[in-house]
Amino acid sequence: MTVRISRRPEDAPPPRVLDDEQLSKAHAIRDKYPNARSATLPLLFLVQSVEGNVTDDGIREVAEILGLTPAQVLATASFYSMLKEGPQGTYLVSVCRNIACTHRGGRAIVRELAEHLGVEPGQTTDDGMFTLETAECLATCDGAPTMQVNYEDFYDLTTEKAIDVVERLKRGEDVTAHRGATVRSSREISQETACAGLGWKLPRDGQEARTIGGEVPPPDTAPGFRPKVPGKEEGS
Amino acid sequence: MAVTEALVTMKRLREHPRDSHTLERFLDTDGYAAARRSVTEMTPDETIEVVKQSGLRGRGGAGFPTGMKWGFVPKDIFPKYLVVNHDEGEPCTFKDRELAESDPHQLLEGIIIGAWANQSNMAFIYCRGEFAHGSRRLDDAIAEAYDKGFLGRGIFGSNFDLDIVLHRGAGAYICGEESALLDSLEGYRGQPRLRPPYPAVKGLYGKPTVVNNTETLASLPHIVAHGADWFKQWGTEKSTGPKVFSVSGHVERPANYEVPLGTKLSDILELAGGIWKGNRLKAVIPGGASSPLLLDTDVAMDFDTLKEAGTMLGSGAITFLDETTCMVRNALVTLEFFEHESCGKCTPCREGTWWAVKVLDRIEHGDGRQEDMDLLLDISNGIDGRAFCPLGDAAAWALRSNVKLFREEFERHVTDGRCPFEEDHGRHVALAGAPRREDA
Repeated sequence: MTVRISRRPEDAPPPRVLDDEQLSKAHAIRDKYPNARSATLPLLFLVQSVEGNVTDDGIREVAEILGLTPAQVLATASFYSMLKEGPQGTYLVSVCRNIACTHRGGRAIVRELAEHLGVEPGQTTDDGMFTLETAECLATCDGAPTMQVNYEDFYDLTTEKAIDVVERLKRGEDVTAHRGATVRSSREISQETACAGLGWKLPRDGQEARTIGGEVPPPDTAPGFRPKVPGKEEGS
Repeated sequence: MAVTEALVTMKRLREHPRDSHTLERFLDTDGYAAARRSVTEMTPDETIEVVKQSGLRGRGGAGFPTGMKWGFVPKDIFPKYLVVNHDEGEPCTFKDRELAESDPHQLLEGIIIGAWANQSNMAFIYCRGEFAHGSRRLDDAIAEAYDKGFLGRGIFGSNFDLDIVLHRGAGAYICGEESALLDSLEGYRGQPRLRPPYPAVKGLYGKPTVVNNTETLASLPHIVAHGADWFKQWGTEKSTGPKVFSVSGHVERPANYEVPLGTKLSDILELAGGIWKGNRLKAVIPGGASSPLLLDTDVAMDFDTLKEAGTMLGSGAITFLDETTCMVRNALVTLEFFEHESCGKCTPCREGTWWAVKVLDRIEHGDGRQEDMDLLLDISNGIDGRAFCPLGDAAAWALRSNVKLFREEFERHVTDGRCPFEEDHGRHVALAGAPRREDA
């Protein structure tokens, strides 16, 4: 992914990507970590869940929340394949093209599914329903060839089966994946990914020294590996 | 004699496939007993000692002794962190996914033991971004464990605190390399760090950090519960215990099989139902895409035997390829993977994998040249030992092994001007968003 941060006229207030509810989630995500910058990936998923992909505004907002520069956030965002630069379809269809799937017929499925949808891998259908992509090993080789639709697995794939899945999604039907989950929209799944690990509250209310094995830990004097980033101090 | 599995980490999910992931089933089958015993009855050093004695070697790929790794952690620097490498991405490996998905509490119990042994109050699970289902299972399990007092303040009524943070990756194979994983977890691009210092000394946020693989941690409750000698009843002298092998490719029943280390590859093939369609075996990738190929199955699957055989056990992903397999295509697919996943930090890996794909692509599609085979070996030599991290080496080994062992087949592609295996391969399927390589 490559994104260019465009300059905004000084007088134009940046539009908010995250509303109040999302913003409070963002803060909860940030507070999961001893160091705010660790929340970069989940917060990028959060803005992706609102806008469908990682936009300039989204990057700016993540930077603001974490006390980073937009360039720092962009540098991270552009590295990861699940963070999307351009607009995405409601359903991201990722067909595995790795060793086990290829040797069991996966590439033919990519080709035929591409023909059926009328797009090349990496493209989105005109109606905005489907983005087709090829994926590297999805760790589902026991069901090769496989694909994921919004990261839900489909096993023992054939071209007919793959086309059937997209056709049912097109008709608005509920589609159940191999492990029993119902396929949801890409925005919902980005939201879920962002909020992973928020199911419980970390008991970090008190600030007193924690005891380890009955002993009070000696004060830490080790220098950090990295320069301190603005934002939350370590261990707070 | 029929081959049988040695079910340890996969026991619960095999015996209770419907509800192995639930807390009820877990507690019903001695769940959290080992962690409770470790935290309330054993000192951290005793816990480390039993793991050292067991001879457990890391199940993520490198096979480094777990107890020894823990021994490198300085005792007097706090905080320390435990990081679970659940970023399983090595092609054809799917053991960690199944272990965490079907038995998430077993992993949590292993984390508690590992954290206690290393005096860490905070553990991170770096869960691969694409594992939506597994992440939900872990999320639920962690919440349940907090409710029960197995996590949080004063776990099991002791004065030991432990928090687990579930962190999702975002799609990058290189983050399975432990130092790249730490950079990713800190919010950076997932690029490997120069070592030393090793993570055990300076890892996450510059603090002592233990990075362990999911299967490694899932083994801990059993070692603590039954002792080192019990664990050593399986395996060889230097590769102890059972190991989960992910068997895939041209076999009748691709799946995870847990067998003692040192089991003959032919026995594992038999467990998987043999080569499919009655076909003959052509080659085996014995330890994930990174490992050089084997041509027969008469070899014991343990760390040292495979090393002697010029390949490696790696993550325990075994892919069987039958006689209909085009090995040029195999090399192409493998190198495309490494090209895509190369992080771009160092030149030999970034450029070398790219060139190798170009050359392999033209051979596979009938435009190869006679000198290409030597060129590929040259590219391989140019990467091997010169890359920043093992990803480059792995790509080089896989490439070299395919070309050397199947050189005649590569040459036939060139002389025939086409792939001899299939009429229609489907023209190379381009990577999403990447330009097609017709200019190669």
